[in-house]
Amino acid sequence: MDLDFSQEQDMLRETVQRLCSESAPLAVVRKMEDDPSGFSEQLWRQMGELGLIGLTLPEEYGGAGQSSVEGAILYEELGRSLAPCPHFASAVMSGGALALAGSDAQKQMWLPQIASGAAVFTPAWLEPQRGFGPQGVQLSAVRDGEHLRLNGSKRHVACAAAATRLLVLARTGNGEHDVDLLLVDPKSPGVEITQQYALAADTQYKVAFKDVRVPLADRIGAAQSGWSTWNTLMHDGIILLAAQAIGGAQRALEMTVQYAKEREQFDKPLGAFQAIAHYLADASAAVDGGTTLVYEAAWTRALGRPVDRLAPMAKLFACQTFRDVTAMAQQVYGGMGFTIECDIQLYFRRAKQLQLSWWDTRYLEELVASAVLDAGQPPRLTEDGRKTFKTPPQPVRAVRSRTELAKDLAEHANQRGRCKTYAEMH
Amino acid sequence: MNFDFSEAEKAFVQAVEQFLDQCDTPEVMDVTRENMAQLVDTPERRAFMSKCGERGWLGMGWPKEYGGNETEGVYEYLLNESLARRGAPQIGKGVGIVGKTLIRHGSDKLKREFLPKILRNEVQFAVGYTEPEAGSDAAAMALKATRDGDGWRLNGQKIFSTSAHFADWYWLGARTDPSNKHRGITLFLLHMDTPGLTVQPMPTIGDEITNSVYFDNVYVGDEYRVGELNKGFQYISEALDLERFTMFTFSPIEQRMEELCAYVVTEQCDGRPLREDLVIRQRIAQLVTQTEVARCLGLRFVAKASKGGAAPTTDSSQYKLYATELSKRIANAALDIGAPGTQLRVQTADAPMRGRPELTYRYTVIDTIGGGTSEVQKNIIARRKLGLPPNF
Repeated sequence: MDLDFSQEQDMLRETVQRLCSESAPLAVVRKMEDDPSGFSEQLWRQMGELGLIGLTLPEEYGGAGQSSVEGAILYEELGRSLAPCPHFASAVMSGGALALAGSDAQKQMWLPQIASGAAVFTPAWLEPQRGFGPQGVQLSAVRDGEHLRLNGSKRHVACAAAATRLLVLARTGNGEHDVDLLLVDPKSPGVEITQQYALAADTQYKVAFKDVRVPLADRIGAAQSGWSTWNTLMHDGIILLAAQAIGGAQRALEMTVQYAKEREQFDKPLGAFQAIAHYLADASAAVDGGTTLVYEAAWTRALGRPVDRLAPMAKLFACQTFRDVTAMAQQVYGGMGFTIECDIQLYFRRAKQLQLSWWDTRYLEELVASAVLDAGQPPRLTEDGRKTFKTPPQPVRAVRSRTELAKDLAEHANQRGRCKTYAEMH
Repeated sequence: MNFDFSEAEKAFVQAVEQFLDQCDTPEVMDVTRENMAQLVDTPERRAFMSKCGERGWLGMGWPKEYGGNETEGVYEYLLNESLARRGAPQIGKGVGIVGKTLIRHGSDKLKREFLPKILRNEVQFAVGYTEPEAGSDAAAMALKATRDGDGWRLNGQKIFSTSAHFADWYWLGARTDPSNKHRGITLFLLHMDTPGLTVQPMPTIGDEITNSVYFDNVYVGDEYRVGELNKGFQYISEALDLERFTMFTFSPIEQRMEELCAYVVTEQCDGRPLREDLVIRQRIAQLVTQTEVARCLGLRFVAKASKGGAAPTTDSSQYKLYATELSKRIANAALDIGAPGTQLRVQTADAPMRGRPELTYRYTVIDTIGGGTSEVQKNIIARRKLGLPPNF
């Protein structure tokens, strides 16, 4: 067992750190809040040049073919810096869908452009008043000759104004999983996009579809295979978002520890008050444990082992930790942290939004519960070859009253004749 | 990066498991007492530990010159976790606190006298740090040691010496310099049958025994002084940093969690499967996730320790803090989920999970207190890891 990173992985981390500090300092993060495009052209171009956009996409289509562990390293650093970019929407989810289920023609046409950053794709998934599961997809796609006709509306579509293509999840039938993945040009007649403003001041759009015609050739994978593709991708994707969340939590904690060392009240630093120090110590344990959990999920995925339990656990815990750490940070920063000029609020707002997005707490809890409780047999939480004791079928010893137990214990205590007997004690 | 244990480590676990299969009796694997880990306090458990000694599993990590094997710490971790998972006694104070401290600081005489016996499980120790006025503030210990010819006279009281009623030897700290709190404590080894020593058992709410020990002019020869005069507290802290991790194994927490999951999977309430209850599902999901986080914090410690260098104290504290707090949350959840039957005492045949949660609930109270309270762990993390100023 070894939790260290390889030299190459350390170099990747340094590359991302350098890029973020040069091209995405917090001044840039602030500047891009509520921006219609949602990302800085310079940062995006550099990410492409460094091979970071296509980091986990296949090499034959211009990607770097790296594993979830490298993906998690990238996302941990993006999370620390809050770098605003459409990487997740474009490269991970849309590019991922093409790589996983696209035809050769689709892959050749789009993946190299996605990997270089020349094209930006974004999923149009969630709908008003609907949830994260397959039933949440109600935008209808009705067959119309060699086309599908789309009607409905989508929300929380990242960077839609800058998108080359939307990856639309559409319902084609009444079966729970009758969902298709379709590539739609946002400039198609009948598509209307409206920017909406949200907690993290990120760039998201509402997209209305009115009789939008999509050629069948723009469907990714077979008919009705869309949810299965999406669900698989989400399990990969949430590992990276968990890394992003835990990176954000790390940085928020570092900033708060630093503040607690510098800010003085009652003639001593805040960190000299146990009430504050203990908040920070608790946070440190959660952040470190969460970081290792994230990499356990990423490493397990990289080996091709199942992550149906670990991936949701990683996002559930990392997002919860990011949320809790930033809420605590706001308290430690006091009134100053409540002002826009203070950087901690940038983390506080993004933490909560990340927890609500791409499968929220409730959905993730259900995934974990299902993985543990619905397999039809009592679970083992770690497959390490250890046996376990079971409560034996017959009682080992009879249940005794408190008095009888006290007598037993007294007798046991006096096994070497150096203690008083029960009678002497009473 | 690799979360798997090596082939050699897995083979070791298999060997331990096969051995445990042969010893799997209720007298050894004492499941009714929540495997009070360190206690080798019955003939059956003592015999079991001697067999571990025969296999070379006691003091594996010690230097070869003292009969050890210089194996990496990860093997002791794996052994302890396997023992804990079955409810067997664990390689305890003798190998860790006493043995390793003697190797580092003890005289040749003490090494010769004790190290071979520890390896053969021929000697049991009680540890005497805590006193009525020195709980979390261990350095406040006041048990008085005064010079008397070639030795010392001890007067005062220790408390919570958990093995004192059956141990052969007492590993204790005493005040040799009243003018210096931290640099006025010396470690001694004292035979438990020395005149003037009185043991008074104190039953606990976890169905265990701990003890008060009274010293009335108890004599200990200077040859039983451990290491240098007045350096005892440094040795104690050093040993705690190294051993705190082994005192609170992960396996029992995971095992209780699995037992709770199995109960939810198989049982019903009012004819409806418990696993269909959304509130229970949510609670299980959170606790299973936190259990994995606790395991990860343990792995961090083991991985760092295997790289050598200084003991990863703060990782050990983070694991201890998180895992023991979680242990209490799981105990609480088990009572809630099987309510109201879970209030029935352990071993009640028709109680959910045979009443084990009832005992666990009482037993785990000590987890966040012994070995340094959660609050003490937080102070360690705050000061040593985060670099915050002293806060008390």
